[in-house]
Amino acid sequence: MLRIAYSIPVGLKQKGNKTMKKSNKLNRREFLAAAGAAAVSMPYLIPSGVLAQPGRIGANEKITMAHIGVGGMGGYHLNDMIQRRDKGQVNIAAVCDIDKNRLVNALKTAGPGVEPYHDYRYILQRKDIDAVVIATPDHWHGVQTVHAAECGKHVYVEKPACCTIEEGKAMVAAAKKNNVSVQVGSQGRSQPEAYLAHRYLVNGNIGHISRVDCFHYPSPEDNNPVPDSDPPAELDWDMWLGPLHWRPYNQRYCHGVFRWLLESGGGQIRDRGAHVMSCAMWWMGADGTGPVTVEATGTAPKKGLWDSAVLMDVTYTFKNPDWVLTWRQMPNDKLPKAEERTGNEPGGEISRPGYGAIYRGDKGEFIHWGGDGGTWAEKKARKWELPAGGKDVYKSPGHKEDWFKGIKTGAKTIMNIEAAAGVANLCVLGNLSYILGRKLEWNQAKQTIVGDQQAQRMMSRPQRHPYHL
Amino acid sequence: MSTNSFKKVSIAAGAAAVMAQTADTAYAQGVDGLLAGIKSDSAEKRTEAWQSAGEVGAPAVKPLAEVMTDDNLEVARAAKRALWQIVRYTGWPGANKERRAVETELTDLLGDDQPVAVRREVLWMLSEIGARNSIKPIAGLMKNESLREDARMALERIPSKRAVAALKAGFEKAPEDFKTNIAQSLRKRGEEVAGYPCQKLVPTKKTDVKPL
Repeated sequence: MLRIAYSIPVGLKQKGNKTMKKSNKLNRREFLAAAGAAAVSMPYLIPSGVLAQPGRIGANEKITMAHIGVGGMGGYHLNDMIQRRDKGQVNIAAVCDIDKNRLVNALKTAGPGVEPYHDYRYILQRKDIDAVVIATPDHWHGVQTVHAAECGKHVYVEKPACCTIEEGKAMVAAAKKNNVSVQVGSQGRSQPEAYLAHRYLVNGNIGHISRVDCFHYPSPEDNNPVPDSDPPAELDWDMWLGPLHWRPYNQRYCHGVFRWLLESGGGQIRDRGAHVMSCAMWWMGADGTGPVTVEATGTAPKKGLWDSAVLMDVTYTFKNPDWVLTWRQMPNDKLPKAEERTGNEPGGEISRPGYGAIYRGDKGEFIHWGGDGGTWAEKKARKWELPAGGKDVYKSPGHKEDWFKGIKTGAKTIMNIEAAAGVANLCVLGNLSYILGRKLEWNQAKQTIVGDQQAQRMMSRPQRHPYHL
Repeated sequence: MSTNSFKKVSIAAGAAAVMAQTADTAYAQGVDGLLAGIKSDSAEKRTEAWQSAGEVGAPAVKPLAEVMTDDNLEVARAAKRALWQIVRYTGWPGANKERRAVETELTDLLGDDQPVAVRREVLWMLSEIGARNSIKPIAGLMKNESLREDARMALERIPSKRAVAALKAGFEKAPEDFKTNIAQSLRKRGEEVAGYPCQKLVPTKKTDVKPL
């Protein structure tokens, strides 16, 4: 760990190198000024880029992290990063949450030397922080990723990438313009059996694939609706809402259950859809492409605040090449049965058989379960060995490791923002078709819905000041 | 006529015909039937009712708005969902006449006689289907402290020059503490605004949690 001791370590790169990545990386002069001005109450960390090759963090240098949103998946990421810190791989400089209880807990978990924040924008101002892990509710992903990129931070953001088409476009543009590495948390792509499945499919083992049917169990209904109330003292409700328009607090909005509201979470299609359809797009070689039509139907919940579809049936039609992708939420008894496998095999038993996808080719079918942190491939893919002359595919070293590689080398991450926005668009378009009750036409090249003015307006959603893209 | 144009016209004509037919059927049951379903004690009947509201259309808008503040939360929620269903249904390409009728009914609900919660919801509905007739009443609400932010966002979303003009006019008259918000909308719509720089990256909320 490179802690500032109010002196300049030998080997600091000087500004003036034209390939230096961004002005918000400390150069020597800025560093001196910052350190001198600081008389700091805590030792700040030297951003790794100061010591690295121009524009990049050195291969053996630690990336200095901050965590924005530390409950739920945010807590998982923090614990994961602490393990990496303890192995000497990264620094953790800050944690941030708008729920004070969560912030206090995260601080206790992270330990001394970590600064707590309520407002993530203070983190973005810190020049010593290289990268942020964003694990806030979905309606914050787009705004915070864009802001972080604009401040020169590399980003790991939880899935789904975005809640609107416009957010996805802005995220792609911000990452590109600011040359930062973005990894979106559809970590299914990085799982060992995802590699085996991908390799199996691209080598033609089930022939030409013309259809992928994703399956998932139903979204829950709100069986305990409650009236609006004052928010709890520890929660900054205004900032939880952030970009969303203001409405009174209701405990059925948060935490965690934001998932079941169309605005903030989008239901299972935007949660697990961002995993299962991510695998489909990756394995079908369809990143960067999109459907020409999207048609959805669904079953609405009968009571309560939550409004995402309980059951859902979405059909995406792709052209050139022609194939069909479906997303179906069905009753549990209709789900494909999980393959029997012993816990002794690599990957263990299938603990989440309730979602996955069936790939239908002209020579056979293939099924995988899960698609997120747990991804299980059918036995025939696990047992298949790559023949001489066979086509191998990228094998992720791990989702975070792949991100670190992107940060240090500039390599495209496995779930880069372009791919992730494309997958999120599928989820968003599915929900839009469901909400509107009509089939939508999509122009992938222009990234727009065709011939439906209302749907076009709904490709974006005005955001509250100042929590906007 | 190109294939695309033919397709668009066909879709529009088909949609209008279907809507006219279904609307006739729905009117036979009437707004009263819809409201009875919305106010039902049965969750199934309420759900069935709000999902069919699109076909009833404009005549149901004001009666549903009244039910949106019902003491029974589930009834109020069903009324709100019914109103949204109407908005989404009349947004169908080609359903211009039905959409204008709903827009007119909705703009009538922006007056001071309506609760803030209803007006806020209506503003967002108009952000999806509002056109020239909505602009003035929405712009008027930029003077209302409880609703001005929603009104600003609604105008930002309505894709017409009139909406931009209304934002500009609102900006001139707005109090200092709201000018930055409107400036944000104007920039979003491609307008240059002198002063009132973007505040999105400016942190404002400190924590009292101390580092360990």
